[in-house]
Order: sequence, then C-alpha cells, then structure tokens
Amino acid sequence: MLLRMFLIFFKIGAFTIGGAYAMIPLIRRDLVQKQKWLSDDDFLDALAAAQSAPGPIAANISVYLGYRLHRLSGMLIALLGTILPSFLVMLVIAAFFGKVENLDFTRRIFHGLKPAVVALIIVPMVQMSKAAGVNLYTIWIPLLTAVLVGFLGLSPVYLILAMIAYAVIKSLKSERAIRRAEK
Amino acid sequence: MIYLNMLLTFMKISLFSFGGGYAILAMIQQEVVVKHSWLTLSEFQDIVAISQMTPGPIAINAATYIGYKEAGFLGSLICTIGVILPSVLIMLAISLSYNILRDRLWFKAIFRELRLLAVGLVAAAAILIAQGALTDIFSIVVFVVVLLIAWFYKPNPVLVMLGAGLLGFFLG
Repeated sequence: MLLRMFLIFFKIGAFTIGGAYAMIPLIRRDLVQKQKWLSDDDFLDALAAAQSAPGPIAANISVYLGYRLHRLSGMLIALLGTILPSFLVMLVIAAFFGKVENLDFTRRIFHGLKPAVVALIIVPMVQMSKAAGVNLYTIWIPLLTAVLVGFLGLSPVYLILAMIAYAVIKSLKSERAIRRAEK
Repeated sequence: MIYLNMLLTFMKISLFSFGGGYAILAMIQQEVVVKHSWLTLSEFQDIVAISQMTPGPIAINAATYIGYKEAGFLGSLICTIGVILPSVLIMLAISLSYNILRDRLWFKAIFRELRLLAVGLVAAAAILIAQGALTDIFSIVVFVVVLLIAWFYKPNPVLVMLGAGLLGFFLG
C-alpha cells in the first residue's frame, strides 16, 4: 500500500501545475473514487483543514491524508511523493537557469511571460474573492491589504497577526453576548 | 550560518502563508527580496513565471531554487524542509484535533477573516509582479489578451505560458 500511495501522490505532485487548486480533483479521483481509501466526507474535511492551516495546501493535504491512511510512514511517503517532482524539476532549472537568465533570448521570452503571470494571478483571485465572501462591507480588507503589502511593502506577518487577534476578540465578544442573551 | 538562516526564513514564510498559492508570493518576496536580498525583484518574478510551468506548489519551487542558488544542493534541501516542517507539525496537530476545533466560534472566525486577507495578498502578488512586468505597450497587450482568454476560456496555464513566451521571443 505504501508503494501505491507513493506513486499516487507522486503522480498528483507531477501533474498539478499552477497551484494547489489543480490537484484537488486529482486527489479526489484517485483516493476517493479509484482506491476507495477515503469517503467523500473524509476528503472534504481534509481539504478544509489543509486550507485553514498555514503552508502550501498541497503539502498540508498530503500530510493529513498520508497520516490518516498509514500513520507516520504514510505521512512521510505522501509528502515525499507530492514534493519530489517539483523539487527535482526546480533543481535542474536552478542548476542551469543562472547561466541563461541574462541572455537576450531569455529576456525576450520573459518579456512575454511576466505580463501573462499577472493575468493568471488575477483571474483565480476573482473566483477566490467570491468564495471568501468579499462584498461591499468586507472589500476594504482585501483592498487595504493589497495597498499595504503591494505598494507600501508592509510584511504580511503584521497583518496576519492583527487579523487573528481581531477575529478572536470579535468572536469571543459575540460568544459572550450570546451567553448573556441566553440568561 | 546561512543554512540555519535559510531554514528559519522558509519556516517563517510557511507559517505566515495562508490561503495557499499566490497568497504566499507576497510573503516570499518580503523575506527573500526585501529582507535577505537572496534574489532581485526581477529574479523573483522569473521564478514565479517558471513556477507557472513546472509542477508543484510555488512555495516549494521557490525554496528549491533559492536554496540551490545560495548554497547548492544542501541549501535547496534545507529550504524545502523549512517550507514543509510547519505544515507537517501543524497538520498533524490539526488532524488529531480538527473535529474539536472546527466547531469553535473563534476558530471559524479566524479563517473567515484570513480568507479575506488572502484575497488582498493575492492582489498584492499581482501588483508586485506587475512592477517590472507591465513596462511597455507590448507587455500591456499580452496582459490584456491573456486576461481575456483566461477569463472566458479557462485554458491550461502551461499552454497560455507557452504562447506568451513564444510571443515574447518573436515580438518582445
């Protein structure tokens, strides 16, 4: 089972290009539908947990599922399988890209690639903002974040810590209000 | 001690990256370009572009690349371990306690608010890449064309990048 797990996660790692959201349907098909190692509910729980924890979602979900399927050895195998393809490919690129990055040929290619990247970031952001509940009352949060981080160069660390504190205080207050109302 | 410095930096990047994918980019840029000068902004943008065409999470791609550039194979290994170590520890803790945590009001509130923040961080990533990417008429035309195609047809990103790279090669 460990070998098969490794191969499945390796395949998932190798074929998800352009972010973790591409890997979600692959994992579901392989682990839930083909191997029947997990129920759909297990999978959705894993996804929710992986999205709420910090770190790359792909690494998070393979840790969670690997552990569920085969404890610690499962976790290590799943993680290794997910990461190995990108690690190996980037190693090869890192070894030779330094030699070509300043050539006219390379700069011309990247002159076309970079604006495409900006567009490829913006399109999923719009879908993401719907899922995150961005509306007239909440849009100031992403707008302010974009200006502070993107234009003014503030580290996201401070914003994240402030946001966590704000969310905890707000929810504790409303919890207390609910309890008071119940009395 | 560059190895320890790299390990801690990439652990920090991982710990403060919520929402996955592009939301991580602003954090990587802040640490790797602004704070440690391991990459220039232009090199950082190159890596993001390369990551669009190679498999795996962008954070892992960036860690492997930067580690190798700064300190060879061992460096790439250490940076990659730095990215996944917080994931491993936190996900293990969560997988043991998720059923208890997920019904807590404060736990839900944190992730509801952080998801809003993550949208802003993705926008910040777009702004950071746009600086130095949208510099002339040619790049703005590529941007608008890719935006329209990606919006209406949801194509495979690798094909889009191949097309944009070819355009740059012949016309850029």
